[in-house]
Amino acid sequence: MTDTNSTTAVAAPEGVTEILNRGLLQTLAAFDPSWLRERRAHAWDVYEETPLPTTRLEEWRYTDLKKKLDLDALRWPGKTECADDFAACPQGLRESMLEDHPASGHLWGIDGQVIHVDLEEGLAAKGVILMSLREAVKAHPQLLQRHLAHDALPAEYGKFEALNAALWTDGILLFVPRGVRLDLPVRVTRWVDQAGVAFFSRTLIIAEPGSQVSFVDEMLSRDLNETSLVSHAVEVIAQDGAQVQYVSLQRLGKGAFYQASQRTLAQRDSTLDTLNVSMGATTARVDLNASLLGSGANSDMLGLYFGDDSQHFDHNTSQDHVAPNTSSDLLYKGALDGHSRSVFRGVIRVHRGAQKTDAYQTNRNLLLSDHARADSLPNLEIEADDVKCSHGATVGQLDAESRFYLMSRGLSREQAERLVVMGFLGEVLSRLPLGGVVEKVTRVIEEKLRQV
Amino acid sequence: MPQNETVQGLGLDEYKYDFVDEERHVFRTKPGLNEEVVRQVSAQKNEPEWMLEFRLKALKIYESKPMPTWGGDLSDLERVLDEIYFYVRPQDHMEHSWDDVPENIKNTFERLGIPEAEQKILAGVGAQYESEMVYHSLKKEWEDQGVIFDSIEEGLKNHPELFRKYFGTVIPAADNKFAAMNSAVWSGGSFVYIPKGVELKTPLQAYFRVNQEKMGQFERTLIIADEGSHAHYIEGCTAPVYSTESFHSGVIEIIVHRNARFRYTTIQNWSNNMYNLVTQRAVVHENASMEWLDGNLGSKLTMKYPSCFLVGEGAHGEILSIALAGNGQHQDTGGKVIHAAPRTTSSIVSKSISRGTGRASYRGLLKVYDGAKGARSNVECDALLINDTSRTDTFPYIEIEERDANVGHEATVSKVGEEQLFYLMSRGLTEEEAMALIVRGFIEPIAKELPLEYAVELNRLIEMEMEGSVG
Repeated sequence: MTDTNSTTAVAAPEGVTEILNRGLLQTLAAFDPSWLRERRAHAWDVYEETPLPTTRLEEWRYTDLKKKLDLDALRWPGKTECADDFAACPQGLRESMLEDHPASGHLWGIDGQVIHVDLEEGLAAKGVILMSLREAVKAHPQLLQRHLAHDALPAEYGKFEALNAALWTDGILLFVPRGVRLDLPVRVTRWVDQAGVAFFSRTLIIAEPGSQVSFVDEMLSRDLNETSLVSHAVEVIAQDGAQVQYVSLQRLGKGAFYQASQRTLAQRDSTLDTLNVSMGATTARVDLNASLLGSGANSDMLGLYFGDDSQHFDHNTSQDHVAPNTSSDLLYKGALDGHSRSVFRGVIRVHRGAQKTDAYQTNRNLLLSDHARADSLPNLEIEADDVKCSHGATVGQLDAESRFYLMSRGLSREQAERLVVMGFLGEVLSRLPLGGVVEKVTRVIEEKLRQV
Repeated sequence: MPQNETVQGLGLDEYKYDFVDEERHVFRTKPGLNEEVVRQVSAQKNEPEWMLEFRLKALKIYESKPMPTWGGDLSDLERVLDEIYFYVRPQDHMEHSWDDVPENIKNTFERLGIPEAEQKILAGVGAQYESEMVYHSLKKEWEDQGVIFDSIEEGLKNHPELFRKYFGTVIPAADNKFAAMNSAVWSGGSFVYIPKGVELKTPLQAYFRVNQEKMGQFERTLIIADEGSHAHYIEGCTAPVYSTESFHSGVIEIIVHRNARFRYTTIQNWSNNMYNLVTQRAVVHENASMEWLDGNLGSKLTMKYPSCFLVGEGAHGEILSIALAGNGQHQDTGGKVIHAAPRTTSSIVSKSISRGTGRASYRGLLKVYDGAKGARSNVECDALLINDTSRTDTFPYIEIEERDANVGHEATVSKVGEEQLFYLMSRGLTEEEAMALIVRGFIEPIAKELPLEYAVELNRLIEMEMEGSVG
């Protein structure tokens, strides 16, 4: 051994900064049980080894991370002092929650920390668990050890997945035991208040055989004068015959860089549907993989986006048909105004032997301004022959005939255009008519349209 | 070829063009590609200095570009490229009468049916054997109207100004690694000029054949369709089956001027150990129309995406593509259309069939630039899977920067329906006949666009491919 290495300046691995580094990892993991400390450390190793995605990667072709996010500039969030008192929490969060319909349980948090959890009486007695991930580490270590950053989104999944698995500060565990059905959705509302910082949170949903649950995950913030990274990893497991709906409402303010990694695992005869609504943030990148692992599994994947100003949305989806007799149906629709830009990249993969697969994928874009742009890449990779697969993508402008018709019935041009856009986007909501979500999203779209 | 017909009818999966002529060449370079090879090719052709410079510059570009990591599997290609001959000259000079062509080369082409076609209807025929054009003629009437249908070398020699004005303008050497390679060692191909207002009622035809083992072919074609002209060019490609890989990398440049219409048809039936990496592109001006009709049946790996750059207002581009991927084959094909002017329109229709362990991939780009108001485009891809080991992919890229544009893409994947098969068999067809009928029906929208002799040939090839594919 010579000591030449010590004199050579070794460049830090990509993505390691003055703040995001092993020291932070050690601080975060200081009070963790050993299994979690090891899992975080492993995730950090993977993070260091994995290069930052560049536009040379097919999946990042249209989103130049270098231009959109400066990891070196991100600080670690300061502690948010907020009592578990609804009246004391930020106004934006309160307003949104007051708009909500009844729920089986609520959870709300600020700046990556869970502040409040409540669950309908009786559900806890049936074994339903809804709690912050921090609490769950103490209360349900085996459950987390078995599933967290393990089945669905292990660190090896990618650079951001590794980073999140290493540095998450809090999150949510929802566990629904065998046969238990929740009549009303679980509603989660999160608020981001700090600018120029990085937040990492996770959601883990486990639905045991024959159970049923809907989960609405809303993410809000004020406008931020410095870019904040809001990273969110979502793992949803629907065991045999379970029915799960996962809905994400992203309404972050300007300045947010939203990065979501979502993976859904659908076992035999389960139904696992998702809806991603992207309205806010300056840049939003959502990676969603739906894996159909058991015969009879089905996933509907819905997406809705409305861009204005210079918003940039990038939805990267995949439908993995691993077992035979599975089906998936994806519909992503978006309207783009101002200088906004949307990227949709979706792939249907039918694995060898996954016969009798039915898989569909549709992406439709409406360009409302001369400066908006939409890129669509719907891919198919089919390795079984007895399948029905199709995809479609369109980009176009507002249908002039529909508008003309409405105007001939006495509507103003603006009213007519709004109606046509609402009709176009409404198709997605009508496919997942969850109480409270439809009204809220409709109102947000209308607000955006008013600014057109 | 009536006698052959019966013999072939008995063979299963026989590759029709698997005949080898004794190797006879006047000159060939050492295997591999380097500056010396490029200089030799240029010297053999007595080229002007600017062309040698163009080639040497292209070689540098080729060397600096990495191997593509997308598309087909090119991991073995570096080795193949070290072993192949980049230039082989089969005879000393170009023939203009069929009788003067050497007997062994003539035999090859007779089996391909060229003189037959020549005698019947063809406007002009160019035949390329190894690296050089060996036979080229043009019906007198067209010649009188000023139509030029020469080998590319003759084009450079006889029409230097026209040649230099357009050569390398549609596909510059730096376009991609294989275009650079072609630019460095190109040899053979056609030079076509259709004067203003001239309409050719019968197609121009060229045939390419690789006979020698470990041979690379780099034909280069430059076509200029002047204002208001109208023509159709057909190329066919074959090679015998050798145990080692061969390599073909063509560059086809087409300029379609105002109000002109041009159609380019390829029926590619290279043997199954051929790498076929081709760059084909047309620049389409105001109110002009370009059609690519692309049939890919042979080769080990084909990567080929005919493109239309619609640069003039009202220009129209059309790409019709059929791919048939049999055992061990990968057809990575598709098309690109760039809308860079208002009121441009385009359509891509792609049909692919994967059989055995074959893989057919559609890869396409549809781009509408800001300002291309009123652009309309439609893409349709249908894939048929025959066996459970077959594979198909669809990779379309849709990039839209203009609000006043309407584009759509649709793709379907399906298997031959059991009910369809059952119905046809209940009417007395064997399973294989029924399968072939369904497949023919599947590609009908494109096959009907082919000249009759090619449509017949395509149907026959598909029948051959389908034999033994059931069960």
